[in-house]
Amino acid sequence: MADTTNPPTRPARGGTAGRRFAEPAGFAVFALLLVVFPLLAPETVVNVGVYALIYGIAAIGLTLLMGLAGQVSLGQAAFFAVGAYGQALLVTRYQVPMVVAALVAVGLAMLVALLVGVPLLRLRGHYLALATLGLGIIVTVVATESDYLGATSGLYGIGKPEFGGRRYDSPAEYFWLLSPVVFLALLVARNIVAGRVGRALGAVNDSEVAAECLGVNTYRLRLQVFVVSAGYAGLAGVAFVHWIGVVNPNAANFPLSVEFLLMSVLGGLGSVWGAIVGAFAVELLDEGLRSLIPTLLPGAVGEVQLIGFGVVLTAVILFVPGGIHGMWRSMLARLRRPAPGIGRRVVSDEDDSPLLARPGRPAPGTPLLEVRDLVRRFGGVTAVGGVSFEVRAGEIFALIGPNGAGKTTCFNMISGVLAPSEGSVWLRGERIDGRKPHVFARARATRTFQNLQIFRSTTVRGNVAVGRHLRSRAGLLRGALVLPARREERQIHQSVEETLALVGLAGDADRPAADLPFGRQRLLEIARALALEPDLLLLDEPMAGLSGGERRELARLLRRLRAGGMAVVLVEHDVEAVLALADRVAVLDDGRLIALGTPEEIRHDPAVLAAYLGVDDDEALTDEALTDEVTRAAARELANGDGA
Amino acid sequence: MTDLLQLLLAGVSVGAVYTLVAMGFVAIYTVSGVINLAQGEFAALAGLVAISATGSGLPLPVALLLAILTVVIVAAVMQRVTIAPVKRMTTLLSIILTLGVSTALKAAMLLIWGPEGHGLTPFPGTDFTLAGVAVRAQYLWILAVTALTAVAVTWFYERTLLGKALRACAEQPTAARLVGISIARASLLSFAIAGLLGAVAGVLASPVYFSAWDSGLALGLKGFVAATLGGLVSIRGAVAGGLVLGVLESLVAGYVDSGLRDAVAFIVLIVVLVVRPGGVLRQHSVARV
Repeated sequence: MADTTNPPTRPARGGTAGRRFAEPAGFAVFALLLVVFPLLAPETVVNVGVYALIYGIAAIGLTLLMGLAGQVSLGQAAFFAVGAYGQALLVTRYQVPMVVAALVAVGLAMLVALLVGVPLLRLRGHYLALATLGLGIIVTVVATESDYLGATSGLYGIGKPEFGGRRYDSPAEYFWLLSPVVFLALLVARNIVAGRVGRALGAVNDSEVAAECLGVNTYRLRLQVFVVSAGYAGLAGVAFVHWIGVVNPNAANFPLSVEFLLMSVLGGLGSVWGAIVGAFAVELLDEGLRSLIPTLLPGAVGEVQLIGFGVVLTAVILFVPGGIHGMWRSMLARLRRPAPGIGRRVVSDEDDSPLLARPGRPAPGTPLLEVRDLVRRFGGVTAVGGVSFEVRAGEIFALIGPNGAGKTTCFNMISGVLAPSEGSVWLRGERIDGRKPHVFARARATRTFQNLQIFRSTTVRGNVAVGRHLRSRAGLLRGALVLPARREERQIHQSVEETLALVGLAGDADRPAADLPFGRQRLLEIARALALEPDLLLLDEPMAGLSGGERRELARLLRRLRAGGMAVVLVEHDVEAVLALADRVAVLDDGRLIALGTPEEIRHDPAVLAAYLGVDDDEALTDEALTDEVTRAAARELANGDGA
Repeated sequence: MTDLLQLLLAGVSVGAVYTLVAMGFVAIYTVSGVINLAQGEFAALAGLVAISATGSGLPLPVALLLAILTVVIVAAVMQRVTIAPVKRMTTLLSIILTLGVSTALKAAMLLIWGPEGHGLTPFPGTDFTLAGVAVRAQYLWILAVTALTAVAVTWFYERTLLGKALRACAEQPTAARLVGISIARASLLSFAIAGLLGAVAGVLASPVYFSAWDSGLALGLKGFVAATLGGLVSIRGAVAGGLVLGVLESLVAGYVDSGLRDAVAFIVLIVVLVVRPGGVLRQHSVARV
């Protein structure tokens, strides 16, 4: 069943050096085009351009929502109508100044989105789309039924804006008035995508569980983006009502929502630029079809242009899922060969000094993590049956056992990916079982994954930057107004470099993460986790896929982290490596703890020896099936939003 | 009391139509995870085709068959052209694709039949009054045909080999492939079933509720709400969900304000999703269909 919500393409993140100059240039060209367009184009085309700008604002919001939150709103017109009605009411009935009214009207649209979003964004899948579709119907019903809102005839008499004795009443004048608004709207949207929030949500689209384990509160960020996207629609409604002078229940009409959606999809969900390009393309298509169809089919009346919308919408998704922006990008990519990653590794050799110590960390030896009688059942299968242990600050603790012993299931329950059937998990004396992974991360604890969960659509650097999510603070607002967040971005850049150097990936920083060989992807996951500066680090089979040299380096890295006071919990198959590295070892077999002690004790424990000798191929097979089941159950739980 | 009975009858009758649409949602969703936003358009299209067919002199039963067949073909073509080619279907893609088809279908109906709504000739039978309640013959047709269809669909999924194979696809895609069930064929079949159910809803409803190019929008949303009430994966749940929604709407329209009729579905949807996203009417013992 299609349960993922990945958009066809995602907003580009972690740009390379070439793009750093391309973007300001793009904005400069855009500003220039906005200025000259009304001078060069005939008035009818400028008129189309005005609508493209108005609707384009709403489409930018939708692109943010679909590209970042991976959710569709089929009711963008509802928020558009709320903005338009709000503005019309305030301006005509209460004589509120235009700009003040606009702020209130946009706020109103965002408030409605907040009320709808709070319950709905907890759920994934189709619910937001269908519920926003319903919202459009509700707004139409309310507007039609309410005499206060002018019932079917709506509100009219909203004047064209006036500033400094100048009336913006011709298409060209209004186009120029809107231009700076659209320019700023686009800039803000771009900053959201490129900033901390955009990076985190992009990561969610790649791997929700990994992003959550790095402290990303998916629900909260998605809700914020939904509210912002509604704000964009509200702003478009304000611009609309001052141009037309009237607003009636048709403003919330479903076809308008489809039109917004088409603008975003046709332009390309990969970039907020797509929304503006799409808006102009769709408005021209709209104009063309409205005049063409009645000449072809005399007697055709009503919203006949919809047929073109439907066909284009379907065709774009089937044939060019990246939209116009995607086509542009692949054209550029063909012209420009990407530079290969240079330099192997920059590891400080034979250095055993403590790493990543931080003031305020619990003193070595104090209990940090406590697991009490943990049980997890899947249907009739008991994967973990009553496991208890304790991990202390500044130790390396290993969890070993034959295939299917329940090691990864334990990790999943500790890190909040799975809720235990029974038992409890305590971190620093606080009970955390059944909470979401981002709660675990906020308590300075994180993990890596046995089956890799790297963020495939970004670079190595982009992956580690997500690990800094909790160590940086720029919210949506601060990220949107780029200047204050700049310094923080520089700090993130700096610490990402340092973290990459720790695992020897500094030379690969700008490579797409998906291009790394398997073993280095493991190291990348560890770097990403270290970027969080955790006190407790869970590593699920970190040695798998590493060469002998890499294993030795990783072992030294872990010792240095321990010296810095970090607690490290390992699940590992390489028993010899574990016994050489760990301070204490717990052995699981068949979901039960059969031994717990120092490596020396474990080496001679008869129960452990029996368990390891008893493994045969059949059991290895069931383990695979079980792992599969665990992953699916985990995904299901996240999807249902259990225990948030 | 008479008022209440009258409202209940009207509610059950419109609820039966929602039930049929809801079963169409369930049929497709369980096999491919796609919410078909064109489900309401299937109903509108069937109504309009039947109206044109009777208008051109065909007897009613022939017109009905023609309408249903047309919609089944449209649904199958839709699956072949827009759903089948997509290799990795995501929620976002499925919403945009089916929305595109639904929009194109709407506009095509607008071009062919114009903006006004039409009503199909009622099915044979005389209206009568029973204990003060006006009973339209068409209500009885709607209830009887919906009941028969629901039983037939349940029997199909629970008793026949083909139906069980479809259920297997939904629950264990890999296992289904292993025993030789083609997911692509199952998806095609599920669209054809959804087309059939939507078309039956459309022709039954048309004499009472009219058919227009854009009547599929609200009908589709309400069918979805009904299906969600029943947990989205259960035919029995969809039946119950449709009836509950229809009665609720009718009571709100009768006792509160008729203008609020269309708001009920949305409010119910929000409440259900907040209270119990798994569906309120779904029992755990009920088999997934």
